[in-house]
Amino acid sequence: MAANSLRKLFSVALLLAPLLAGEGAIAEVAVPALSARVTDLAQTLTDEQRSQLESRLTQFEAQKGAQVGVLILPTTKPETIEQYAVRVQEEWQLGRAGVDDGVLLVVASEDRTVRIEVGYGLEGALPDAIAKRIIEEDIIPQFRNGDVYAGISAGVTRMMAVIEGEPLPPPQRKGRASQARINLDWLFPAFVLLLIGRQLLTAVFGRFVGAGLSGAMLGIIAWLVVGSLFVALLVAFLVFVFSLSSGIPGRRFYRPWGGGWSSGRGSSRGWSSGVFGGGFGGGGGFSGGGGASGRW
Amino acid sequence: MKRFIKLALTVIVIASLSGCGYNALQRADESINAAWSEVINQYQRRADLIPNLVETVKAFAAQEKDVLLGVTEARSKVGSIQVSPEMVNDPAALAQFDAAQGELSSALSRLLVVVENYPQLKSDANFRDLQAQLEGTENRIAVARQRYIRSVQDYNVIVRSFPSNLTAMMFGFDTKPQFTVENEQQIQQAPKVDFGSE
Repeated sequence: MAANSLRKLFSVALLLAPLLAGEGAIAEVAVPALSARVTDLAQTLTDEQRSQLESRLTQFEAQKGAQVGVLILPTTKPETIEQYAVRVQEEWQLGRAGVDDGVLLVVASEDRTVRIEVGYGLEGALPDAIAKRIIEEDIIPQFRNGDVYAGISAGVTRMMAVIEGEPLPPPQRKGRASQARINLDWLFPAFVLLLIGRQLLTAVFGRFVGAGLSGAMLGIIAWLVVGSLFVALLVAFLVFVFSLSSGIPGRRFYRPWGGGWSSGRGSSRGWSSGVFGGGFGGGGGFSGGGGASGRW
Repeated sequence: MKRFIKLALTVIVIASLSGCGYNALQRADESINAAWSEVINQYQRRADLIPNLVETVKAFAAQEKDVLLGVTEARSKVGSIQVSPEMVNDPAALAQFDAAQGELSSALSRLLVVVENYPQLKSDANFRDLQAQLEGTENRIAVARQRYIRSVQDYNVIVRSFPSNLTAMMFGFDTKPQFTVENEQQIQQAPKVDFGSE
């Protein structure tokens, strides 16, 4: 039995090894961090052009709610532009969560390929055939003339016009839903464990130490189950406070703060929650390969 | 005290259910179902495009009977396969489905090669729209397949790895078959290199 499960473990390791190794070996083009609506990695746009596009897209989002993103990069090789665009959109998540009203325009200037990746929610307004026409009639003619900005601008204009006609939920003022999806499976068992464990521990160790210990334990459990240090620390802290403030009055000692030792797992580690700061982020929209691509 | 122990045991069982991957297994299983529905959906979308496409091509290139017939036949073969969510557990059914769709793919690509000889057809607005839709759908199929493969992979890793494999064994979760690479046989054969004899 032991040998069997050991072999199983080994086979899993074998199974995973090529995957892990393969990820490094293929060397795909990395998805850039999303910090603005217009990301120009190929330095094709002037600052003025970039900010102009940016402000038009910002205004459009404020008005209509849909997020349109532009990414210009030299090459997507070894992937096709379709594969790359899907990966970018999986990471950027343009469009609002649930509405999926995001559009991504990718231009690979050295490959001379362009793609419009359409979120699920806009596949009705911007079906493949329309996306293809926008690429062939508005974008590519300008690209052939060597004017990348004019092509992108014309494409964005027409996309916005098309989306304008689509009834979408109105934009919200500060409506960025919290992106953390907290897994609540642990809540019930943790709560029951807390009720029992707290009594036991406070009975044995006294109030303060008992509360600290139960906080630490539940924090560790939460960490193992949820896998997020932030949630674990939160749980540890809440349990500690809860244990301390309720239950039988402590018989052993009740010392006011000042001993200098901190609660459960309250190390002074600063946690960074997510990537804020750039001022722009995807709203949680999804796409599934809809849209069109072209080359010039 | 006895009640206490009982309660503690219950708690441990509950805690270990979510800790030992039971919920993760359920979640992964469900995400496979969702990914599979998407795959079927997109293949269906492609099948729905074909009658229109064949009609349009026929109007300009009626003499390409063989190719058109090939597409129609492959389409009806695809349509005759009973698609069900249970297919994800059946390697044979999955392979059959995959083979039929693969045949339709190659019939379609033959059609698109032939189309190159008909400039009038190529510039027809209706045909161009259809072609854009077909391209978009093929891409959607590729994305849906990739996501399906990824979800099966996630699930299989949970089923096989410790300690969730114990949970999987206990509740009868088995690994699921993957899509196979179409030309596996060819890939497995080492290419013959002949430098010519001196």
